[in-house]
Amino acid sequence: MEKIRDDIIDFLKGQSFMDSNTQFADNESLTKAGIIDSIGLLELLDHISESYSIEIPEDMLTPDNLDSLQGITNLILKLKYERS
Amino acid sequence: MQILEELNKDIGKLSLDLGGFIKQNVADFRKKGVLLGVSGGVDSAVTLTLSVQELGAENVYGLLLPEKESAPSSTPLGAEICESLGVQYEEVPISPILESLDIYNRKDQVIKRACPEYDPEVHKTSLVLPDFLDGGSMNVPYIKLAKDGEVVAQHRLKAKDYLELIGLQGVKQRSRMIVQYMYAEKMNYAVCGTTNKTEMVLGQFVKYGDGGVDIEPLADCYKTQVYALAKHLNVSEAIRERPPSPDTWSHYTSDQDFYWRMPMNAIDQLLYAQEHQLPLDVIKENTGLPEEKIIKAQKHFDVVKKNTEYIRAAAPVFSLNGNH
Repeated sequence: MEKIRDDIIDFLKGQSFMDSNTQFADNESLTKAGIIDSIGLLELLDHISESYSIEIPEDMLTPDNLDSLQGITNLILKLKYERS
Repeated sequence: MQILEELNKDIGKLSLDLGGFIKQNVADFRKKGVLLGVSGGVDSAVTLTLSVQELGAENVYGLLLPEKESAPSSTPLGAEICESLGVQYEEVPISPILESLDIYNRKDQVIKRACPEYDPEVHKTSLVLPDFLDGGSMNVPYIKLAKDGEVVAQHRLKAKDYLELIGLQGVKQRSRMIVQYMYAEKMNYAVCGTTNKTEMVLGQFVKYGDGGVDIEPLADCYKTQVYALAKHLNVSEAIRERPPSPDTWSHYTSDQDFYWRMPMNAIDQLLYAQEHQLPLDVIKENTGLPEEKIIKAQKHFDVVKKNTEYIRAAAPVFSLNGNH
């Protein structure tokens, strides 16, 4: 879980508008904090699909699953578990 | 307070003021008239009518600028309003420009990557975003494939494909801008834009495309006000009843499907409320939306406005005096 969380943070630091020193809570909204925009969201989806070899179903493209570090981590864990 | 009543009031005066704005700016720019791209939509119909009322039909020129994927009704509706106002016009299809840049083939290749079953001979396409108010979905764009008017498939886009498509689509509006200036400069006319306030504040226009103009009469009027102006100016019902659209996808895609993600009345009331910092209870009463959705929409607008600042901005200039 920590590994996934760190990977997403690294991705956001590398790809998004987030300053490398920015701190944010695991349940903080990434869109409202301006960390990802609509393009950033697509890049994040591509990153998750490619790095974890999972496809995110349409009905899981919700703020609960994608708008916070906690939600993203849980989503990846869930989809990886279902795949295995 | 009733927001829609506020937006719809004093339309006669607004019409006169807008006409005065057009006349004043044409004079200030030392131009002999105005040239407009006439799309068959309500924004250009209103702007054309205001221009004719203020400058006279002999000082207004219309360009119909269709391309292969324009709706079949666009050119006839554009021609009809030019003729009804006695405006001289010309049809200049921009498809050859787009073909020379391989836009259609490139677009087909991107769509094919997202939608393996896509056949350009069979399917029409559109780019849509999920409804903002109805669903809990994130802002993820989809390509829809339609056959015989029915949507038969939809696929999510990868980031790089989405960005490429936006760039390819923007060539349409930018090609129109090139043609408009080619004619306007020859005639010593100003190019008159048709962007409304709903589009302007959310950055829903193409920089140096439909945003590449000399004057923007409607850019402080919400779309709701444009419709009220259209009614006041007796724009035909065929134009007023047509769902507003950028008309750049072969399967007709309305502004509500892609840009607004909610009905026009809702977005204009929410934007007006945000602009005037109206209290939540007034917004709830006007829109019928729950508090949670209103707050969510206002935060969404904040993000969109911030992310589209560069579209509205003139290129920043470095100042030798240190004022940047």
